[in-house]
Amino acid sequence: MGADRRAVTGALALGVLLLLPLVVPTFFIVLLIEIAVVALFATAFNLLMGYGGMVSFGHAAYFALGAYAAALLAKKGGWPMIAALAAAPVVAALGALLFGFFIVRLTHTYFAMLSLAFGQIVYTIIFKWTPLTGGDNGLLNVWPPDLLRTPAAYYYFTLVVIGLSFWALHAIVASPFGYALKAIRENPRRARFVGINVRRHQLYAFVLSGAFSGIAGGVFAFYNGSVFPDFAFFTKSFEPLVVVLLGGMQSFWGPLAGAFGFKVLEWLISRWAPIYWPLFLGAIVVVVIVALPLGFVGLMERRAWRLRSASR
Amino acid sequence: MEVLTGLFPWITNGPLIAVQVMSGLSVGMFLFLVSVGMSLIFGVTRIINLAHGSFYMVAAFLMVTLIEVLPEHRLSFWVALLLAPIGVAILGGVIEVGLLRRIYHRDPMMQLILTFGLILMISTLVLLVWGPDNKSVPRPDELAGSVRIFGQPFPSYYLLVLGLAPVVAIGLWVVFYRTRWGMLIRAATVDREMLGALGVDVSTLYTQVFAFGSWLAGLGGALAAPTVAVALGMDGDVLITAFVVVVIGGLGSFAGSLVSAVLVGELQSFGILIFPAVSIVLLFAIMAVVLIVRPWGLLGHPEE
Repeated sequence: MGADRRAVTGALALGVLLLLPLVVPTFFIVLLIEIAVVALFATAFNLLMGYGGMVSFGHAAYFALGAYAAALLAKKGGWPMIAALAAAPVVAALGALLFGFFIVRLTHTYFAMLSLAFGQIVYTIIFKWTPLTGGDNGLLNVWPPDLLRTPAAYYYFTLVVIGLSFWALHAIVASPFGYALKAIRENPRRARFVGINVRRHQLYAFVLSGAFSGIAGGVFAFYNGSVFPDFAFFTKSFEPLVVVLLGGMQSFWGPLAGAFGFKVLEWLISRWAPIYWPLFLGAIVVVVIVALPLGFVGLMERRAWRLRSASR
Repeated sequence: MEVLTGLFPWITNGPLIAVQVMSGLSVGMFLFLVSVGMSLIFGVTRIINLAHGSFYMVAAFLMVTLIEVLPEHRLSFWVALLLAPIGVAILGGVIEVGLLRRIYHRDPMMQLILTFGLILMISTLVLLVWGPDNKSVPRPDELAGSVRIFGQPFPSYYLLVLGLAPVVAIGLWVVFYRTRWGMLIRAATVDREMLGALGVDVSTLYTQVFAFGSWLAGLGGALAAPTVAVALGMDGDVLITAFVVVVIGGLGSFAGSLVSAVLVGELQSFGILIFPAVSIVLLFAIMAVVLIVRPWGLLGHPEE
């Protein structure tokens, strides 16, 4: 795809996204907000998994840190929504810095396990610190100002915040830092030989990934109107993983497509049998891993590539 | 000392401490059964089976059903205790042959994620089969009461668990170190390719090991069933604690699992007395420290 065609596609997509609230029912606007949040969470996660080759099993912690930071500052601190939302990535990044400092010292399985352990610590603290976090009951009535109360208004707001985050993530991936990260993923030893400080790059990636997960959490808190300890539970960490697997981790936009598929599927299945949803979620993972290692988007890309080379 | 008694009024209460130690030991026993299976499976197949807690849960639910189905008889509890772990072993074997066998050559992360997917599937299937309500398994009549230990009541069922602990540990030791099958397992832990090259059917060995590890988790779940509310969600609790045990003890280390299971069992037992609110955080903090200082665990070996 040439740069021109890409620009045209981008402009068209943006136009459609802007006009959608005028034509589709409220329900779909709400679904789109959720898709955007999951897409950002998964893309932030993929900065680690797809680009850095690091799989975190406790990423829900940073989503929850962002959500709780925004909710607490707005509700108990009386901060205006924008300021509370701006604090979300800061708090999440601080958490990611603290935990990441230890986590990036390990690799592969041990990396995943330590991230899970820290994730569960965050969950337990949120769950047990009832005076601050409300414990199991969560924090209720975390609403945006009147201006943003309608689904359409919040949709546009989400589009701006998450659009900017995507733009920033894309810039990070395309920067020398992004390429260094890929080099580390492919061969840490060679990366070290050419003078890349491996651990520091991995820590930066971890912190950035945590910060953007925090933004997703903050946006979700005000959309949802409440925050709960479940946001930090290890099953929540599964969400970006499934989305990335669905969309394929090889491309920047894979998780976006994956988020779309994930949420639409969730909606379809929860409509007729909500209790089957985790079964499907698990089955999707098993099927993708056993049968479609490139994800659905990867599969389609390969098929498109085959068609193109066949028509030549 | 005065400071200590002020902070922890129970510290001079010898009998209470003794009972606490014993209940910590029995918790450690359940954890040992689950984590040694997890560790064994990892040692041979290099897969960390996150669905191991689910096997534990399935065994507990199988106990519920078996005791309902079996005719009321003095021995029916023991028959159920025999059958439930076998059912789980079969489940494990089927999963190994149907799914895991296809992905041994793949990225370890993908294997980990796949077993994570199994957790979701199994918990939903359990919900569909047994429904959302908590169940309970009655203790066998002869162990329904309690005995007095240093004047403190102690449920006699736990004595069974405590009595079984050394039997299982010694049994496993005999299997690992005194049988040909155990020798093959130990050889597979060290060098799988070489074992295959020497003409051993590694593929069948993997299935056997996975089924055996699942059986151990099943035995843990079946034994624990009369001591807890059999509920959805016990899979996650057990998985996370067993995971901590395995990491602290060292993945693939038999002795490590034993030591660490007892340690974690006691920690949970006393953690409730000392830091009621943060005993779980303490557990994870210890795991984090072990991972940072000795990622291969207390008794494990670093990977080359």
